[in-house]
Amino acid sequence: MRRRWVLIVSLSLLLAVVICGVLAPYLAPHDPNIVDLTHKLEGPSLTYPLGTDQLGRCLFSRLLYGTRVSLSLALVIVVACLIVGIVIGCLSGYAGGWIDNLIMRANDAILAFPSLILAIALIAIWGAGWKQMAIALVIVQAAYYVRFVRGLVISLKQQSYITAARVSGTNAYRMMIRHIIPNMLPPLLVVVTLEIGWVIMDISALSFVGLGVQAPTAEWGAMINEGKSFIRSHPRLMIAPGILIFIMVALLNLISDAVTEKKGLGSPLRRKREAAE
Amino acid sequence: MSLLVADNISKTYGSAGWFRKSTSEGTGVRNLSFSLEEGTCLGILGESGAGKSTLGRIVLGLLPPDSGTITFEGIDLYRSDRKARKQWRRDIQVVFQDSYSAVNPRMRILDIIAEPLRNYERLTSLEERRKVAELLVLVGLTADDMHKRPGQMSGGQLQRVNIARAIALKPKLIVLDEPVSSLDMIIQKQILIHLRELKEKYGISYLFISHDIMAVHYLADRIAYIDQGSITDVRTTLELSNTASLKQP
Repeated sequence: MRRRWVLIVSLSLLLAVVICGVLAPYLAPHDPNIVDLTHKLEGPSLTYPLGTDQLGRCLFSRLLYGTRVSLSLALVIVVACLIVGIVIGCLSGYAGGWIDNLIMRANDAILAFPSLILAIALIAIWGAGWKQMAIALVIVQAAYYVRFVRGLVISLKQQSYITAARVSGTNAYRMMIRHIIPNMLPPLLVVVTLEIGWVIMDISALSFVGLGVQAPTAEWGAMINEGKSFIRSHPRLMIAPGILIFIMVALLNLISDAVTEKKGLGSPLRRKREAAE
Repeated sequence: MSLLVADNISKTYGSAGWFRKSTSEGTGVRNLSFSLEEGTCLGILGESGAGKSTLGRIVLGLLPPDSGTITFEGIDLYRSDRKARKQWRRDIQVVFQDSYSAVNPRMRILDIIAEPLRNYERLTSLEERRKVAELLVLVGLTADDMHKRPGQMSGGQLQRVNIARAIALKPKLIVLDEPVSSLDMIIQKQILIHLRELKEKYGISYLFISHDIMAVHYLADRIAYIDQGSITDVRTTLELSNTASLKQP
């Protein structure tokens, strides 16, 4: 029961953050990129709820717009990883044999590097920028998805309904669409929630070191980077986006945990069988 | 001509790899030969681990044997071309032991039974529904059950759904892999009666794999006893009732 509440509360908080991001143009009191040097480094006030940064930009507005950038970028990266992971993972797991071996060894080669280091190396080749960062993150992250999906496919392949479908003449493509992918989604969604959190951290980390989202675009990691020169005099410039990153990642972890524990709910059949045994 | 002929088939499980020695232990089948006539039921009786299910998978065309041939209507299952494979794949169907895991938990009964139809025939959705309703009635369920999901049905009902799926394409052979073992006695009997009716009505042949001598005795015309991967004895059911002396190890 307690888990249920954790899930409800964290989901609603997450939803609130997402809505804030989506409605940023309406909620933000100021344009996030308007520089006003007469108001630089001001403390919180009625006009500037969280104060202003070193260029006199409204911190609150920048946070709201930053939510948009961070969340949508994370979502795009995770969805791209998911597509790559499902396609290649299904191919590898279902085909087996030398195809599986080839894909898995290539995958191992990517997994052998620490993911962030590899992403930095790729961005170093292509140059800094959010597009390059997104592609680099997809390449390094998708390897994990491929491996995970392959494992799920191999375990699903043992189920007798897959054998029964094969005997019924179902071809490989229909097998994926009708049987394997739908039954793979619940465990995959748990991982995806967790992964969004990690990707948000990665985006922030890369933007912090200046490889990802570039100034003046508001993004949490980039904001921490810009604020770091004022850590002694005006720590709130770093603390505010830092807290937001922390909250988002914590929420996504809590949700993922709660869903994992309730996963039995995904399949009424499994619950019924457990009750019968 | 016999419908299905197995000639000296062997399959052993073992693993050999770069870092492992080749082993040939584990249960498989060894030098199995048998034949199955059209419209009859051959019972394969044996203990757990005797290689019964391995045999079932070989007959279904899912597990190539190491040696020997298995022919269905004169076509070698593992050396057939694409066109021939499409035909025998349609003519050999299966019912598994665990009725719960043999159906996709996310699909409606309608979609489960219609799956083989969709793979081979082009039916309109109305025709398809009518056909599924017919099949459901044939196996002792009602047409309304097609809107249910597997979670809303009992094990016995789901086994009937599995049978309906197996007979949807009017196959010539159905491999029954312990079809009643996970059900209680009364349901077992009902399912067996249904299977016998279907066999007589449509002339379907069965390869009935089981460890339950009573069930095999009820449905089979001939019974082969399989032990450690080999057939040790074959009797007609009639002989068996007369002598009741099936050779036991």
